[in-house]
Amino acid sequence: MNKEIEKLLFNPIRLKAISFLMTVETCNFKALLDITESSKGNLSIQLKKLNAAGLINIEKYFQKSYPTTDYSITKKGKNSFEEFYKQLLSLK
Amino acid sequence: MTKEEQLSIINDTIKKTKYNLKPLGYNLVFWGVLIITMSLFHYFFPQIVQFTYYSSLIYWVAIPLLGMVYTTYYNINSGNKLGYETQLGRVIRIIWAVFGLSWISIVVLNLLHDANPVQDILFLLSTVLIMSGLIIRFKPVTLGGVGLLIFTIYTYYVPDINFLLVNVVGITFGMLIPGLALYLLKKDE
Repeated sequence: MNKEIEKLLFNPIRLKAISFLMTVETCNFKALLDITESSKGNLSIQLKKLNAAGLINIEKYFQKSYPTTDYSITKKGKNSFEEFYKQLLSLK
Repeated sequence: MTKEEQLSIINDTIKKTKYNLKPLGYNLVFWGVLIITMSLFHYFFPQIVQFTYYSSLIYWVAIPLLGMVYTTYYNINSGNKLGYETQLGRVIRIIWAVFGLSWISIVVLNLLHDANPVQDILFLLSTVLIMSGLIIRFKPVTLGGVGLLIFTIYTYYVPDINFLLVNVVGITFGMLIPGLALYLLKKDE
């Protein structure tokens, strides 16, 4: 298991965000705020870290003149999460 | 954070993600009411609907197209409110979008060839309802689809049957009742 990924998912907000993204096609920032029960600023920083590691995609666009951001998990994110989850189960 | 705590976070987060069943129920009720109303209006006022050669074609294409515009708008809005789309929701959305396009195609092709589209549409609708019911694991929708399929097959063996009344009976049991059951359901999948 990649130590960098393990370290990234050690943070509960990042772990909640990636677990949620594993179960949905896409979601917006508000849905992630609700699920992680975090503050806007903190969540934004954690999502940027996941994006920088290539685990999630961040797509920004305008909807009815309002800026909107969609989040989804990448293939690398899925594989890393599955590996991480299997490892957790094996250590249980 | 221990491994157990990490596993607990993952499991709790996954459990919170649910497919919202209400919009599908609302869509079924909306289309059920619309088609039943249109069928009854056509049945009681054929002189209006069949005023010209192409007027019934326009009637059965234009109004459902407006309905599609409205339900697309409703579904986009309810999706935005929820903030996410599950894989299950995406599958259901694609199935019903393909059904909508097939419906319009069947109506246009049948009416242009002077054939009645009711049986073809009800047959297609029953298969889509069975699929949806099985995917969301909701028995009333699956049973509504099975009932509609049996009813549609039965209509092939009854000569001189009134297709507008067939539409009313089929849509009531296949769409309206399962849709209401789904809409009034409190839990999500």
